[in-house]
Amino acid sequence: MTRLFVDEYPGQARLVRAAFLNSFVALAIGATFGLIQAFHRTDIYRFLPSPDYYTVLTGHGVFLVISFVIFFLVGLFHWAITDSLGQRPSRAWLSWGWYGLMSLGTLIIAASILGGFMEEPPEVLGAPLSADVLFTFYAPLQANPLFYLGLIVFFAGTWLAGADWFRTWLTWKGEHPGKRIPLPAFMVLTTMIMWYLGSIGVIVSLVAFLVPWSFEVIPGVNPLLTRTLFWFFGHMVVYFWVLPAYLLWYNVLPTLSGGRLFSDPLARVVFILFVLLSTPVGIHHQYMDPGIAEGFKFVAMTNTMFLLLPSLLTAFTVVASMEHGARQRGGAGTFGWIRALPWKDPAFTGMALAGAVFAFGGFTGIVNAGMNINYLVHNTLWIPGHIHTQVGTATALSLMAGSYWLVPQLTGNRLVGRRIALFQVVTWFLGIVFMTNAMYRSGLFGVPRRTAEPQYSFEYDVGIGSMGELNAQIALGGTLLFVATVLFLGVMLLTVLNRDSEPLVDGTIPPALSGPEDSPRILDNLKLWAAIAIVLLVLAYALPLASVIQGGGLHGQDIRPYPVVLVDAVQHAGTILGVPIH
Amino acid sequence: MRIHTYEKLWLAGSFVLIVGFIVTVTYGSVGLGIDMIGEEADGVSPDEISSDERFSEPRVEQVGENEYEVYVVAMTFIFQPDPIEVPANSEVTFYVTSRDVIHGFEVPGTNINSMAIPGQVAELTVEFDEPGTYGVICNEYCGPQHHTMEGSLVVTPEWEFSQTELEVDAPESVAQGDEIDLTATVSNGLLETHESTVNVTIGSQTTEQSITVDGESSENVSVTVDSDELGPGEHDWTVSVDDQEESGTITVGNETDTTESVPASVGTETVSVTMNPADPTRASRGVGYP
Ligand code: HEM
Ligand SMILES: [Cu+2]
Ligand SMILES: [Cu+2]
Repeated sequence: MTRLFVDEYPGQARLVRAAFLNSFVALAIGATFGLIQAFHRTDIYRFLPSPDYYTVLTGHGVFLVISFVIFFLVGLFHWAITDSLGQRPSRAWLSWGWYGLMSLGTLIIAASILGGFMEEPPEVLGAPLSADVLFTFYAPLQANPLFYLGLIVFFAGTWLAGADWFRTWLTWKGEHPGKRIPLPAFMVLTTMIMWYLGSIGVIVSLVAFLVPWSFEVIPGVNPLLTRTLFWFFGHMVVYFWVLPAYLLWYNVLPTLSGGRLFSDPLARVVFILFVLLSTPVGIHHQYMDPGIAEGFKFVAMTNTMFLLLPSLLTAFTVVASMEHGARQRGGAGTFGWIRALPWKDPAFTGMALAGAVFAFGGFTGIVNAGMNINYLVHNTLWIPGHIHTQVGTATALSLMAGSYWLVPQLTGNRLVGRRIALFQVVTWFLGIVFMTNAMYRSGLFGVPRRTAEPQYSFEYDVGIGSMGELNAQIALGGTLLFVATVLFLGVMLLTVLNRDSEPLVDGTIPPALSGPEDSPRILDNLKLWAAIAIVLLVLAYALPLASVIQGGGLHGQDIRPYPVVLVDAVQHAGTILGVPIH
Repeated sequence: MRIHTYEKLWLAGSFVLIVGFIVTVTYGSVGLGIDMIGEEADGVSPDEISSDERFSEPRVEQVGENEYEVYVVAMTFIFQPDPIEVPANSEVTFYVTSRDVIHGFEVPGTNINSMAIPGQVAELTVEFDEPGTYGVICNEYCGPQHHTMEGSLVVTPEWEFSQTELEVDAPESVAQGDEIDLTATVSNGLLETHESTVNVTIGSQTTEQSITVDGESSENVSVTVDSDELGPGEHDWTVSVDDQEESGTITVGNETDTTESVPASVGTETVSVTMNPADPTRASRGVGYP
């Protein structure tokens, strides 16, 4: 007997579907932009003027890591909360309210970015409609005010979403006194605590500095301050991107393997560690920044290394759960059980491959985190290599694989093209192997990231292989990824249209081998963990922020804005940026 | 809390790994002395750059035996100075700031890599053992022409390295029959005494003169030629020393009113070496003033 989410909670299923729709539209645009980048920067095929590359890259970053991932996340979390608590949200307007705010914010941001493609962007709010500032929007590069306002609206939506889920939980708690929080709900709530705390940095940066600055209310900004506030948020957000994948790995992957989660207590510990540690490490993105003392960088480095712990624990639990499932299915032997896993199931295979790529990418992350080794890789193509193994695959591929399992339950339709789906996840995997392999290697000998034409008058010291071979791998990998994206979206579309069918999946998640009763109740004390997280945050950031403000002022000194409207003519660049060249 | 034995082992292994990483990085900092860019250097706001004694003139400066400092200003979409020239076998400290937006300062093939943030000054020290030529690139997006932002870094062999500057003072025209006085001021920016050769060509006449310039000072080399020997008309002259070269034209005319120019380096303490072709003792190494 199959149990379908859409039958039990049709209203909630509609909201989750709406969120997924936004997510997939963003994926389509983002992947197209990615393909353009892969061909442009390798100089294999260029059809846009290079200044427009940065409009494309801004769109790629924002549409994928903000819109695609976060819309999927809120959809998934809404499903997880509703399903695991068995509780509808108390106010439908609240749920649709956050969805509406997030959608509105995204539309505003998208308009400001896409305006940059126009020959002469129209004036909006006193500035040309353009926001070629990349997804990090480092001041004093300046976007149209709409870009910052759109982000604020989007963030407001996510905060409201968290409030919605906390309300649902509180209602549930009132009706189920003394019960342990079900694991999926626990993950949603802890992830949102992390999000609330970590996003304060970027929200302060937007509300207190960038928006007033873009309206010329304040004279300038301190570029190091807004940058530090961004990275206050910036490492937390990478976990925010990865945690929906974790939610799937902990809850769905064991089921797909044919077994049960190995340890519920450890899963809780892992999420608590993320709440505590994922924010006080942001300075590891600023190892190369002047104006931040080496001591603060060292603290961030040690914190970051400890942040490996939850991921290492996850590797154990997930692999152990898969092994348990495989043995249930008749697998045997030390490694022979691997063959007994359901490799023909695209949902399983996608998540398993995503996990494998994540493990590899984790090791490259240790290189990034390794403070002095960071000199070698900082801002080189190595970093997009890392980005694409982590959020670009661990998350993206898990979300796609998860969709193969979840979307039928949200629509009541049978998944169309299981074999295409299987082919799709493998294609993505191959694409990412080619593309990131070449990115990692190029980064090691200094090819910069975020550059339309990384071909200079000197020759790179390539070592093994050649630049041509590496570029070909990036283009090939990018093409495979793009094809995989199209296949995924095609399968989704056909599934949605596949009305007269019965899904084959069963949404029941069996209890863990070692359940919550094996862990102390204190793990569920969310207030306690939030309080400790705040203390750690203050310890990690109070002094660096104070010293940055002391060093460069709250509003900077003589820092002029540089609105970026990308025009093709070189001679324009000077005038638009208003640069005095002496 | 119940934890499986394997899990405990894994946990212990994880801790060992993490501590191992921290120890490795700490060893890199303390043992190998790989410093991080910090907050040691005082900041400078973009508007103060032009009057800042470190950055108003972006340059390479010797500060000790085999020790150099380089003051780099990044701006859309160039680096100053360009090229950056330093000798091999030296320890070089870079000070990098930005005049406008955030830039990167990366030398592919080395571990030179830093952010250039307006208002802040990045300080990083590296050692150059071997001569070579490198590219300098901006690795942070800084605007529409970001990809064109490139400079170069030349590490020259120690013996070829100089920081010589040349200024030449020569009349634009002289009357037929007058003497032509040409004065070359050679300044040495290094701390050590620098030996070199000054080559002077006027019209078809060439001479060279060895000079020795003390550290951080300058010397004058004067050449006097009788305009009759050149004849009326325009005559090109060239003065070169180390990698510096200056050139110009002198018109030998019939009129008597000529503009005598003022010596360029009024303030510098100079020892004038007058090289007069009429005086055979001084033109010792001259190559043929007839
Ligand atoms: C069709 C598949 C994709 C292709 C071909 C692709 C290609 C690229 C390339 C070539 C770059 C480097 C641009 C540069 O630094 O000059 C890049 C950057 C990036 N990609 Fe992708 N990508 C794809 C999918 C994704 C996905 C699924 C994500 C995340 C969910 C993602 C996130 C990013 C991010 C965050 C950056 C860095 C942007 C920045 O530096 O501002 N990409 N991508
Ligand atoms: Cu990080
Ligand atoms: Cu740049």
